[in-house]
Amino acid sequence: MKKTILVALLLLGFLVFAIGKEKAKAPPAEATFRMHLASEPPTLDWSLATDNVSIRVIENLMAGLAEYDKDLRPKPAIAEHWDVSPDGRRYLFYLREDVYWTDGVPLKAQDFEYAWKRLLNPETAAEYAYFLFDIVNAAEYNAGEMRDPAQVGVKALDDHLLQVDLKKQAVYFPAITTFTATFPQREDLIKAYGERWTAVEHFVTLGPFRLEEWRHEYRLTLRANEHYYEGRPPLDRLIFYVVSEETTALTLYETGDLDRVTLPPIAIPQYRGRSDYRHAPFLRGYYYGFNVAKPPFDDVRLRQAFSLAVDRTELPRILKGGEIPATSWVPEGMFAHNPKIGLGFDPDRARRLLTEAGYPEGTGLPEITLSFNTDPTNRLIAENIQAQWKRNLGVSVQLDNMEWKVYLRQLKEDTPQIFRLGWGADYPDPDNFLNLFTGASGNNNTHWGNARYDQLIADAASEADAARRIVLYDEAQQILTEQDVPIIPLFFAAQNLLISPAVKGLEINAMDLLYLKKVRKAPL
Amino acid sequence: MIGFILKRILWAIPVLWIVATITFAMMHLVPGGPFDREKKLPPEIKANIEAKFHLDKPLPVQYALYLKGLLRGDLGPSYKYLGRTVNDVIADTLPVSMQLGFLALLVGLVVGLSAGVASAVWARTALDKTSMFLATAGISIPNFVLGALLIQLFSHQFKLLPPALWEDARHAILPAAALGLAPAAYIARLMRASILEVMDKDYVRTARAKGLGFWAVLWRHVLINAISPVVTILGPLTAALVTGSFVIEFIFSVPGMGQFFITAVTNRDYPLIMGVTLVYAALIVSANLFVDVLYLFIDPRVQME
Repeated sequence: MKKTILVALLLLGFLVFAIGKEKAKAPPAEATFRMHLASEPPTLDWSLATDNVSIRVIENLMAGLAEYDKDLRPKPAIAEHWDVSPDGRRYLFYLREDVYWTDGVPLKAQDFEYAWKRLLNPETAAEYAYFLFDIVNAAEYNAGEMRDPAQVGVKALDDHLLQVDLKKQAVYFPAITTFTATFPQREDLIKAYGERWTAVEHFVTLGPFRLEEWRHEYRLTLRANEHYYEGRPPLDRLIFYVVSEETTALTLYETGDLDRVTLPPIAIPQYRGRSDYRHAPFLRGYYYGFNVAKPPFDDVRLRQAFSLAVDRTELPRILKGGEIPATSWVPEGMFAHNPKIGLGFDPDRARRLLTEAGYPEGTGLPEITLSFNTDPTNRLIAENIQAQWKRNLGVSVQLDNMEWKVYLRQLKEDTPQIFRLGWGADYPDPDNFLNLFTGASGNNNTHWGNARYDQLIADAASEADAARRIVLYDEAQQILTEQDVPIIPLFFAAQNLLISPAVKGLEINAMDLLYLKKVRKAPL
Repeated sequence: MIGFILKRILWAIPVLWIVATITFAMMHLVPGGPFDREKKLPPEIKANIEAKFHLDKPLPVQYALYLKGLLRGDLGPSYKYLGRTVNDVIADTLPVSMQLGFLALLVGLVVGLSAGVASAVWARTALDKTSMFLATAGISIPNFVLGALLIQLFSHQFKLLPPALWEDARHAILPAAALGLAPAAYIARLMRASILEVMDKDYVRTARAKGLGFWAVLWRHVLINAISPVVTILGPLTAALVTGSFVIEFIFSVPGMGQFFITAVTNRDYPLIMGVTLVYAALIVSANLFVDVLYLFIDPRVQME
C-alpha cells in the first residue's frame, strides 16, 4: 500500500516539475512582428551561415557595404559610394562615418578586411568562402596554397576606406557585397569568445535590430537598435518562432499568433482570393538534367525530343503555386530573362527527332530511368512528365527516388540518365544561374561541356555594357536549352504568403530577402 | 540493494559502448555525408571543413577520437548547428522533451489505469465495451491524426487551447494528450486483462471466502498483483516518452529532442546522431533499472541477484 502511495507521489512530483517550469510572459504594448522560421538557425555567424533561415535572421541584425533596392539592384549601405577603376578590377568603398556597433564601438574598414580574410581563412572552414574567389589570391589563400593573408586583395586604406582588387573584372561584384557572408566582423570579440561569440551575452551587431533572446529550437527575439545608422526602425520587436510544420504555422497565423506565413502548396487554392494573400516570383529554377556522357542521352536529338515533348503549362496546374513554366534558364525577375528562348511544346517535332535518332515510336530504346530525391512535389512532377513522355513520345520511363543525401552522392558517383535538381539565386545576376553549366562548375552534373558556352559566360561576367551582356547571355541560353540541351528547364518557383493586414510596408522581392527595418505595425 | 544497483550501473557501460559502436558503424555505412549539398562545395572548401571536423582521418581514428571524447563526457560538435556542441543541443532540448514526456506518461497512467480497472470490475457491461472500444481505437489511431483532431477540436472549434508553441502550461495540454492517449489505451487493455486473470486466482477466492469485501480484496490482493505487467512496460515506455516524439513535437512546435532522431540522420550530423542515440540508450537502461527496483517493492518473490 505504502508503495502505491509512493508511486503516486512520484508521479505528482513529475507533474509539478513539468508545469512549474514555464511562465507566460504578458506581451507589453509594443509593435511586434512575429513570423516563423522553418528550422532552428544553424548559426548566426555570418561567415558560416549558408542557409536561408540563418540568413533571414542575420539580414535584420546586420548590414553590409551594399544592400538591394526593391528591384534587387545593389545600392549603397555602409559604403556611401564606391569607385571602380577603368579596367574594372579595383574597387574603392567609401564607408559612412556614423556607423556604430551595438556596444558603442565605431565601425572601421578594418572590420571588413578582418571579416573577409576570416571567411577565406582555411581554418574557418566557411562554405561560402568562394563568394570572394574573384579577389586576388583569395582562392589560393583558402586552398592553403598561399599562407600570407596580407597578399589577399582586400585592404583597409584608412578607417573608412576599403580597397578591393579583383583577379578579373566582375560586374556583379557590388551585388556580392550585399551578401551576409561579406558583412564586417569584430576581431576583438571573436578572439575573446571563439565560437561562442554569437551567444546572446556576447553578440554585437550593427543592423536595424539586435539580438535580445535566443531560445534554441524555439524562438529568437530581436529588439530595435536605437543607434542604427539609418535611425531606429519603426518596429519595437521581432519574434521568430521555429515552426517546422507548415500547416502548424498556418494555424498559428489563423489564431493571430503570427503576422506572416508561407503557405503550404495544398492550402494555396483555398487562400488565393483573400486580401492578405501575396504572390511573387522567386529566383529559383527547377530542371531535369541528362547524363550526356552515357547512351542513349549522348545523342542530342534524343535530348531535344524529350524536351520538346513536355508541355510545361501542365506543371502550375498540378502544383497550384503559381509557378512560371520555363523553357529557358534565366528566371523571370532577373536581368536577361528571355522567355522566347528554349524548346517549347512541339510533340510532332519531338517524334520526328526520336525517329531520326533511330528510335521510331520509342522502339529500340533501352530502359530509361528518371531519378529524383524523395519528396511529394518531386513525385507529382515526375509522374506528370512520365505520363507526358508516354503520351507524346510513346516512351515508357521508370521512376526512381532516393533519400536526399543518398541522391546527391548518386549524382556525383553514378549520374542517373535523367535527374531532377533545382537552383536558387545566391545573387540576382544571370551569371549565378548560367555559370552552373560551365565545364568547370562543380554543380554541373550533366557531364556536358561546351567551349563556346564557357567563353560566353566568362565574357558576359566582365561586360559592363548591359545591352551587349544580354546578347551574350541570349546566345549562351540558346546553346544550353535549344542546341545542346543538357537540361530541360521546367519552371521557376513562386512565393505564396499570407501577411497580416496590420503589417505595413513589407516589400516582397524575388530573392525572398526580408528586410524588416521599414516595416510598421500597430502595437500588440 | 546498493550492490545490486551498482552492479547494474556497471553493466550499463558495455551496453552503451556496444550501442555507440553499432551506431557509429551504421551511420558511416549510409551513403551521403554531412556536407553534401544541393550546391556542391568547391573541393578545397570541402577539404577545409572535413579537416576542421577530423572527417579527413581514417574511420578507426575518428572512432577512437569519438570514444576518447565520450569518456570525458564530450559528445562533440554539431555539424549542423555550428558553434554548438551536441551537449549544448541536448541540454537545450531534453528538458523540454522530459516535461512533455512525463506529462504524457501521467495521462497514460491515470487514464489507462482507471479505464483498465473500471473495465475489469464491470467486465462485459456497456462501460467495459465502450472503454475497450476506445482503447482499441486509441492504439490504432496514429498520434499525429489524434494531434490534428485535438487541434481542430480544441483550438479551432472551441478556441480553448493554443494549437502550438511552448509558452505556458496551457500549451502542454494538447501535445501531452496526443502523446499520452495511445499508451493510456495500451495500459487500459493490459490492466484489464491482468486484473481478470488475477481475480481467478485461488488466493483471491480464499480472501473472498474469508469474508473480505469486494473492494478490499480488489485493492489489497488484486491490484498489487495485477500491476506487474504495467510496471514492466513502464521502463521502455518512459524512455520513449521522455526523449520526445518527432511527430508530436513537429506538429505542436515543441522545442524538444524528438526531432533530432530524424533530422540528425537526414542531415548526417554524425555527432548529434550518436548523442541522441546514446541519451536514448542511457535512459532505457536507467528506466529499466528503476523498474527492476520497483519490482522489489511490489513483488516480494523477485529476488536481488
